[in-house]
This record gives sequence, structure tokens and C-alpha cells, in this order.
Amino acid sequence: MKKMTAGRLILNLASILMLVIFLAPLIWSLAVSIKTEGTPISNAWDWFKPPYTLENYPAVIGGTNVPMWTWNSFWVAAVVTVVSLVLSSLAAYAIAKLPFKGKQMMYVYFLLGLMVPTEATIVPLFITVNGMEMIDTFAGLIFPSVAGSMNMIIMVNFFKGVPDELIEAATIDGAGTMRIFSTIILPLSRTVMVTVAIFAFIGSWNNYLWPLLCAMSERMFTLPIGIPTLVGTYTVDYVIPLTANMVASIPAIILFIIFEKQITQSVALSGVKG
Amino acid sequence: MNGRATGKSKGGLIAWLFLLPFTAFYTVYTIWPVIQGVYVSLHKWGLMGKQRFVGLDNYAKFLGDKHFWSSLGNTTKFAVISAPLLILLALTLALLANRPTKLKKALRVGYYLPSVLSVSVVSFVFKYLFSPYMGFVNGVLHAFGILAPGQEILWLTEGNKPWAVIVLVTLWWTVGFSMMLYISALQEVSPQIYEAADIDGASKARQLFTITLPLLKRTTYLVVMLQVIAAFKVFGQIQLITDGGPGTSTRPLIQYIYQAAFRNNDLGYASAMSYALFLILIVLTLIQLFIQNRRGEA
Repeated sequence: MKKMTAGRLILNLASILMLVIFLAPLIWSLAVSIKTEGTPISNAWDWFKPPYTLENYPAVIGGTNVPMWTWNSFWVAAVVTVVSLVLSSLAAYAIAKLPFKGKQMMYVYFLLGLMVPTEATIVPLFITVNGMEMIDTFAGLIFPSVAGSMNMIIMVNFFKGVPDELIEAATIDGAGTMRIFSTIILPLSRTVMVTVAIFAFIGSWNNYLWPLLCAMSERMFTLPIGIPTLVGTYTVDYVIPLTANMVASIPAIILFIIFEKQITQSVALSGVKG
Repeated sequence: MNGRATGKSKGGLIAWLFLLPFTAFYTVYTIWPVIQGVYVSLHKWGLMGKQRFVGLDNYAKFLGDKHFWSSLGNTTKFAVISAPLLILLALTLALLANRPTKLKKALRVGYYLPSVLSVSVVSFVFKYLFSPYMGFVNGVLHAFGILAPGQEILWLTEGNKPWAVIVLVTLWWTVGFSMMLYISALQEVSPQIYEAADIDGASKARQLFTITLPLLKRTTYLVVMLQVIAAFKVFGQIQLITDGGPGTSTRPLIQYIYQAAFRNNDLGYASAMSYALFLILIVLTLIQLFIQNRRGEA
């Protein structure tokens, strides 16, 4: 039934052409990273021609701080994700399901946070964190990233949808609040938790402005902060800087390919649910 | 009745225990800086701390500061240029990657891939791509004879070309998210509508303009607002690619605030300017939430 019409062929070619354009910067970086330093380049295609070498990768991994910064980025992102999930879900459960005085007031207080753009409060945030002597510490890097209320509000909306009857039945069976939370609410919320976790992780992984202010010494750098300091020392040759870029990107690319389905679903969900 | 009252207050206690840890972080790192910033903005304030009270001087100062207005102008220019291009590209990619072909999955992964890279990587790759002499883009232009031998385009330093590079890198890096929003909206469209249109003999192109695009209107509003908000927060890629240059021609507002605070040691002034950005972003966010809620009700 589906024959290859001219229109379909053109659209297929167009979509492949776009794919090539989208991947070209990465393919070029990859090609540069397997060239010997100082190879003369007389035209654009020379970048892709042999001889190839893999020796730049051990040079970057063993001779620079890129692995340490990659580790810092991972570690910070993982802690941000876990802490944010735990704190936000506990608070969201209280707002959504537990009775207490002042609930409406607290909810409005948390809604205000959706209006606060961190980019616009970065200077006073620096003064606050500096006053707590947390500049250039992991605590200073992490704490502001778990303090946004977006994740928490998303969870409130989701938890509200869990039927009260389930909670009442468990209460009659003698389950405590914490037990109900961990055995009923959390298992039912797996999708929303995965979504929030993915955005928390990616958000932290790509965070640039705050680590730029907060991480002062090389051993505290995350990748986005470290890479520019490294690249800045190479002014002529492209090989080592682009190899460093590839080393910094390969873990993220592998993670993306593994979790591609969850990530794309999360994006879709964020558009539908807001 | 006594029992019920204790039961309720015990429930209240547990609720507050659940709330407390998050509320503490939220109050200290999200809400307090907003309040502290007002106080700081009323002072001459250096990296070493408060120097003296200056009242509203910092606010008066930025209203008359041509650098403030030019960097706000740059940010606005970036928003105005990047938003429509992003919509167009996101929509095109979504339509291409939503077609029932064997390539579907590869296309989605490929188009989304740049989004997982960090801003530093993305910026340096583009900086090298667009460099003169060794850069890949000029190299390709030479190879196809579009550029004469010995001739170079100074993408990063000449006229409006740095803007072109900044917009391109932003599109490449961020379009994946919007494309996914469009794809999920496309998938909500019932196939029966297209079947009916096929039976009525409407061409594919006609179906695109009379069925698909009108149904995507809400998603488009959302994507526009998200991009405009993101554009007003632009900083990393510009700082890393042009450092606001040549001169100050690409410097965005956040970079000017950053420089005022940490290069000129004037945190009070930087805080005052931050509230201008704050105000702009709040207005944009309210518009976005309004659009999104209306979308939810429909």
C-alpha cells in the first residue's frame, strides 16, 4: 500500500540531511580527537583522513583534570537528584494528603517559588552562601539546587490524585504515615518520580551560572566550569581541547542512549502536565 | 473528643516533620535571597560586605546606565530572533521525525542528542567550527569554492555574524526539547481525522495546513513562551563564545550583572539590576502559566 512516492523520498532525504547537519559538529569533533597533534590541515576533508590515533584519549584522561571534573559533575548531580526527590516528596505528601493547620498558606508559600528565577537572585544567593561559608564547598554547590519548589509542586498535583480510600484502608490496618508514604504513595508515583529525577539530574549536570560563582578551586569544578579553563590554555591546536570535549560528553551521550525512552517520555509529560 | 483532638495535633506534628526539611532549604536558598537582595540593592556592597546605605541610588543608576540598556537590548534581540527560528526548526524536526519510517527512532535520538551536552562543550565545539583558518565551516566553504582561497569569514568577530553563531548554537543545543513537545502533541491527534481527510481527497500539504498546524497552536504558544523565558536567561554560550564581544555588542543582561558584581565589585548595583530582570521574568512566567492553565482546562 505504501509506495515510495516522490514526496516521501524528498522528506526522507530531508530528514537524513537534517540528521547529518545535527551530528556534523560531533562527528567533526570526534574526527579531530583521533588526529595526531600538529597534523597540517590544508582543507576541510583533511580532518577526516587517516592516519588516526587514539593516544589523545589517554593523554586527556591521565594528564588533565577532566576525569575529576566529570566525577564532580556526576556526584553533584546524583546527590542533587536524590536529596531533591526525598525532600520534595516528603513535603509534597504533607501538602497533598496530611491534615494540618496552615496548609493552604504553606501551599501558597511554595507556589511563590515558581515565580523566582534563580538567574535573577544569583548575586544575593552568593552573599547568602558566602555568609554561611559554603562557597567552594560541595554543600554550597548542592544546597541551592535542591531548594526549588517546582518538583515539589509537580508531586503535590500527582499525590492529590491518589485515592483517599487507599490511605484510609491502610490506616485502619494500622499502617503509620511513613509506611503509607513508602508503600502506597511512592510506588504509585513511579512515573512522576522518574520524570522529576531526570530533570533534576540533567539540570544539575548542565548548571553553569551557579557553579561558576560557587566553585573556586580546580578540585571543586564541575565539567562546565573546568572545560573552559582547560581549553583556554590551548590557543593553536584543536586536538587536545576537542578530545577533552569528547571525553566530557561521552558519558552523557551513553546515558542518554540508555535512558532515551524515559527522557523523551519525561519531556512529553512535562508538556502535557506542565 | 479529647482523643480526636490529640489525634489531630499528632497528625499536624507529623505533617510539619514531613514539611520541615524541604521548607528549610526552600526558605534559605530560594526565598531568603529574594529578600536579602532588596536589602543589598539599597547599599553600596562589595565582595567584602556592606559598605554604606545609598537608598535607591543603585536603581536610579541603572535607569541612566547606557550599558544596562544595551545589554537588555541584546538579550531582547536574542529573544526576538531565536524564538521564531526555534519554533520553525522544532516544528520541522517534529514533523520529519514523526513520519512512520524506519528512521523514526534514529531521527529523534539524533535531533535530541545535542541537548544532553553541557553548555561548555557545545560552545567550544561551535567556537572551533566557526574559527577562521582552521575552522570547519570556513573549510567547507573553501572546499565547495564558495569562499575564494585565502579569503576568510570572521564569524566570531565581525558585524552581526557573532549573533548568527550564537543563535545557531542555541538552536542546535536546545531545539530537542521543543521538538519532543511537538511530537507528543502530534501523537495526540487522532489518526481518524487524517483518514477522513484522505477520503475527502485532501492533499498531505493541505492536511498539514488545515488540520495539523491549527491543532498545534497551543503547543506553539507554550514553546514560544518557554523559549522567550529561556532567552532572557541567556548567558553561558555567549560568555563562552564571544565573551559579550566584539566590544559589548553581544553582551546579555546576565553577563552585565555578573560583571558588575564580580569584576567591578559592586554587588549592590548588580542586585538592583537583577530586579529588573526579575520583573521581566515574572511577567513572562505569569503569561506562560496562564497559557498553560488555559491549555489544561480545554
